[in-house]
Amino acid sequence: MPEHALSDRELAISRLIEGSRDTVFAAFTEVRHLSQWWGPTGFTTTTSTFEFSEGGVWEFMMHAPDGTDYPNWIKWIEIRPPELIVLRHGERSDDPEQFTTSIEFEERPDGTEVTLRTEFQTKALRDKAIEHFGALEAGGETLRSLAEYVATGPRRKDRF
Amino acid sequence: MCLYRHMTSRVARAKTTADAFNAIAEPHRREILTLLKTQERAVADIAEAMGMNQPAVSKHLRVLRQVGLVYVQPVGKQRRYGLDARGLEPVHTWTRGFSQYWNESFDRLNAHVRGMEGEEG
Repeated sequence: MPEHALSDRELAISRLIEGSRDTVFAAFTEVRHLSQWWGPTGFTTTTSTFEFSEGGVWEFMMHAPDGTDYPNWIKWIEIRPPELIVLRHGERSDDPEQFTTSIEFEERPDGTEVTLRTEFQTKALRDKAIEHFGALEAGGETLRSLAEYVATGPRRKDRF
Repeated sequence: MCLYRHMTSRVARAKTTADAFNAIAEPHRREILTLLKTQERAVADIAEAMGMNQPAVSKHLRVLRQVGLVYVQPVGKQRRYGLDARGLEPVHTWTRGFSQYWNESFDRLNAHVRGMEGEEG
């Protein structure tokens, strides 16, 4: 395992997406695409501001399946089609806990490997984030009940 | 972090001065945990495997014990150390929020990209 993967300031995740690099990259560049996939299962987004350019901002609200709204603010720092996107992500433009995320797109024989790395400004900020866990809502429960509902209940036609 | 709050279940509040995150940030301590993954070992054994002196290893073991990543067991005159993986739970819980968020987003991205390529073709 690469040393940086266990850094106390960074987290990374990779996934092979079945599509050409141009298509996968394009899915990150427009609201009509982003609104179809950004966020965990059952979540939807409403965009208020969107400009895909270096220095441009995407402001949107994430709606959880239980009705809770989570504000999101993203500013693109670097855009290198179709290889790399670097962004700042927080709840608001003045969120002191913003963090930097880089998204790399690499061509593979059967698709495009997307690697997302999130780096925190300081270890102290990360520690602060951990403390927040003491007072959490049960988001996991909500998702579990949704999964059960989808599996056993009537089919939801309004999912996304 | 905050953005992943809703993906994370409740965990005990971590100490600010010493927690599993701090403990595994140090490469030598990660190496010790790797060594203990397969078997219990004495300090001398760990020191030899790592090419470090015993006092330095003992210092790291003390930190790892404080955060509950390592247990110690007297075997005869020796004290043997072992990995207590339960101590890693805060790390798992925290990364689960992040990984669940992105795994599920990537599931949806994959489905959407397949649709996009279908439209083009």
